[in-house]
Amino acid sequence: MISEILLLGLWGVLVGIDMTSVAQTMLSRPLVAATVAGVILGDPAGGLTMGVLLEFFALEVLPVGAARYPDCGLGSIAAVAVVAGSPGVLSTGLGGALGLAVAYLGGLAAHVTRMINGADVVRNAAALDAGNKNVIYWVHVRGVLRDVIRSMLVVAIGISAAYAMRLALPITLQGAVYLRIVVVGAALAAAVSGTIRLTGRRIAMQWFVMGLVGGIVGVFLQ
Amino acid sequence: MSQGLVRSWFRALLIQGSWNYERMIGVGIAYASEPLLRKLPGGRDGDAYREALGRATTQFNSHPFLAGAAVGALAKSEHEGLPPEQITRFRTALAGPLGSVGDRLVWAGSLPIASAIGLTLAVVVSPLVGVIALLGIHNLVNFGLRFWALKVGWTGGVNVAGRMGVPALEMGLKVAAPFTAFALGVMLPVATSWLVSDFEPNGITGTGLVAGVGLLLARWIWPTLGGIRYGLIVVFIAALAGWI
Repeated sequence: MISEILLLGLWGVLVGIDMTSVAQTMLSRPLVAATVAGVILGDPAGGLTMGVLLEFFALEVLPVGAARYPDCGLGSIAAVAVVAGSPGVLSTGLGGALGLAVAYLGGLAAHVTRMINGADVVRNAAALDAGNKNVIYWVHVRGVLRDVIRSMLVVAIGISAAYAMRLALPITLQGAVYLRIVVVGAALAAAVSGTIRLTGRRIAMQWFVMGLVGGIVGVFLQ
Repeated sequence: MSQGLVRSWFRALLIQGSWNYERMIGVGIAYASEPLLRKLPGGRDGDAYREALGRATTQFNSHPFLAGAAVGALAKSEHEGLPPEQITRFRTALAGPLGSVGDRLVWAGSLPIASAIGLTLAVVVSPLVGVIALLGIHNLVNFGLRFWALKVGWTGGVNVAGRMGVPALEMGLKVAAPFTAFALGVMLPVATSWLVSDFEPNGITGTGLVAGVGLLLARWIWPTLGGIRYGLIVVFIAALAGWI
């Protein structure tokens, strides 16, 4: 149990810093972050469910320019910590709800981290402008370390909240069913809205409709 | 490939490490450029090295995968002894196009394609195959672009824009939008039907209603709301209704 939580925390830090600071290999995509979290907690199916659900929300996020965006990767790890080992009907809605809250918190924490980085830059502006190699190195490394700390804090809060929820599932069966419906509905809205934004132009829309028809046929054939 | 270029490439993987609202990735550009500037006249103790590093820290933003082109081109310009004002103007001119091309190619292109293919394969074949597909497709573009951009920047210098006009990039920009649209079109019904596969008919109707209201808000009434905030609002309403 303790080793699983530590491993999950370590995975959370990797996922958190991957979002912006380090390499952006997309370990931070919910499909990846949640599936691996599910394997760590011994419930790959629960991990996949949360991964697909939060990946829908992530489709709407465009990390362009100075945009502020939620940390869906850390959110999906907290979500898996709720659902692992529980029946999907009971836990999917609750896991999704916690995942959304932690994703939002992760985004806010990233914004605060950027402001602290900015204060560091302002404090060292003269040395930076003078081309002081050591100051440049440490201002940059401190920025990466702040993101490590941000990830640790957010994932610790997310996992703690998840285990608190598991100890006392604050919900009835009917409530769990309703919660699952609204979370999946919101995810679908986010995915469709994100897709329309990405494929807004006429020529792309034609391709989208062709894909949609192919997907629907595929579902019926399955 | 020189040792400096290899070091610079590794450092460029962390180019957004100190992202801030004052200079954006300016400090990251200086951090990644440093190995390429060591051989300026006077070496690491010389004025040219310090002045070039100082210029490199000023405000800059672009797509992280193509920022290497700016790192290489600006470092090359310093080696070629261009006047500081010209380097500053060149730096300003690079930011916008590198950001725009990268956003179209990656954030609105290869990443949603990788995500859509990964999701489809995860629910149809297996989660492992889906994850490998997403990471494989994305990182082929990620590491390939980063490597190519730095090399083109370093060899091209002030002519980097001309060197970047290769057919593969132009083709990528041309096909990104239709490919993204098609992949997302296939994925949406497949992944949605998987998500609601054990829902009762009433549940599917409810899900459709929540999705419809969310889409209405996102597209026409409250475009800045965002999916996560909409999700939190409907969860709060559902929890409140359950409590009452």
